Amino acid sequence: MDRSEVMQKQTQILRDIFGDPNLVVTEDTSANDVDGWDSIAHMQVISTLEKEFKVRFALGELQSLKNVGEMANLILKKI
Amino acid sequence: MLFNSYIFIFAFLPAILIGYFGLNRFGKDKLAKSWLLLCSLFFYSYWNINYLPLILGSIIVNFALTNRLQSELCQNRKLWFFLGLGFNLGLLGFFKYADFFLANVNFVFSTDIQYLRFLLPLGISFFTLQQVAYLVDAYEGVAGEKKFIDYALFVSFFPQLIAGPIVHYSEMMPQLASKENKRFNSSNFSLGLYIFILGLFKKVIFADTFAGWANDGFAPDADLHFFHAWGASLSYMFQLYFDFSGYSDMAIGLGRMMNIQLPENFNSPYKARNIVEFWSRWHITLTNFITTYVFTPLVRSMPKMSFGFMMLSSFLAMTVAGIWHGAGWTFVVYGMWHGAGIVCTHWWKRRKIKLPYWFSWLITFNFVNISFIMFRATDLSTAFNFYKGMLGLNGVVFPKGILAKETIIEVGMKVGHYMTNDENLNLFMVVLGIWVCLKAKNSMQLMSDFKPSQTLAFKTAGMFVLCVFGLNKLSEFIYFNF
Repeated sequence: MDRSEVMQKQTQILRDIFGDPNLVVTEDTSANDVDGWDSIAHMQVISTLEKEFKVRFALGELQSLKNVGEMANLILKKI
Repeated sequence: MLFNSYIFIFAFLPAILIGYFGLNRFGKDKLAKSWLLLCSLFFYSYWNINYLPLILGSIIVNFALTNRLQSELCQNRKLWFFLGLGFNLGLLGFFKYADFFLANVNFVFSTDIQYLRFLLPLGISFFTLQQVAYLVDAYEGVAGEKKFIDYALFVSFFPQLIAGPIVHYSEMMPQLASKENKRFNSSNFSLGLYIFILGLFKKVIFADTFAGWANDGFAPDADLHFFHAWGASLSYMFQLYFDFSGYSDMAIGLGRMMNIQLPENFNSPYKARNIVEFWSRWHITLTNFITTYVFTPLVRSMPKMSFGFMMLSSFLAMTVAGIWHGAGWTFVVYGMWHGAGIVCTHWWKRRKIKLPYWFSWLITFNFVNISFIMFRATDLSTAFNFYKGMLGLNGVVFPKGILAKETIIEVGMKVGHYMTNDENLNLFMVVLGIWVCLKAKNSMQLMSDFKPSQTLAFKTAGMFVLCVFGLNKLSEFIYFNF
């Protein structure tokens, strides 16, 4: 799977979770840019990504995930 | 040693800086680091040398255990991990919670077991947390390799050793290892000095002034009628904020002087309009730790990822955060109260309940105020007496300046001094506190706006001089007790 596919899948997941089919997701999109992306939604995002890509994030990795681009990097490293 | 003492500012700090940058200048970077470590340990031992072996032991055992976990030959990783976790929590439990545990055992079983009465080792809650995070990450294979001196410095670096900001090794270790950071940097130094003085000003001028009224209100024999209870509780709220955020500013400033960036710990918490937002602005490094290392594993261990189980995890995580602050039922209640606040916030969000701007601020502010009374009170009954006072159940003494004084006296109510001292100054300071917390720029904003100029240098020097005159009454920081 290449980077653009990962980004595409991520975008779909975020649109589903936040119930906004037109949500624009870029590399720089972070929790601050999306209405309703709080700690609870974040857990949903993380666990859906884990299921979808069949990866598992370590606790110490979660703290450093600042935006969607960094999430994609981490996923690519793991799959 | 206190940051707000003459010996720290005029002897320890200059000595450490000259030694550190001097040794680096001559290419002795190992020696420079050793100097920093030695000074940090001296700083720690200055209070009570008896606890030096404790922090050293904790560093050495954690270093050895995590090395073991990081070695490829390590079998039984799980066993070593739980051994490490047990060691850290055991140490904290023994020194911090043993007497609380014994008191409850004695109460429930009507026994009379002797208390251990240890003096709480300074900073133990903080250095334990940092090392637990490293241990978990080493177990999960994401902690970087380390040298002993860098690890020991990450734990004991004197600016953040006693009361945070709680740092993650991934933000500290690369900075300690970087060559660039070893040279004296005048723009970092002036920025660091500026933030240090801002923090000192918050502590000496604001926090210590509010402390007088707060201490009066929480004294065992305090007469807590309506206006006194409110004045004292608001005073404590501002004392705590200026004390703790002042300490964080000083730590951040000291780090900056040595080219080390410590993480932001406060971001105008009293502007928050719900409790979730409050914790994203108050003691941010603790919130991050609790979210990552307590809340997330809790959610993962639940049978399924439903809203209900996430709320249960939030509530439990906040209760843990409460108990982390201290051994007592008041801290348990404090944590649960905030846990309930977080659950309410999420529930309201889901129901799409929207409140007017000022109203949501007002209830959040008071929710926090109520919780800090529990936080400050020595026991539950003191806290409940305080609440009675705030509800007017202990009577009302009206301020002297009130309109319609005659009518109030005629109907048999009291007019007079409602606080033990300086009630007009108290009112002024509370209003000023609200203004500063809501309208003035916070330290982090001032830090990013920082442009050295003559005017700013004079202003900062003026603040420093005021602080130096105020230093003769030494006072400890509230968070040293945790």
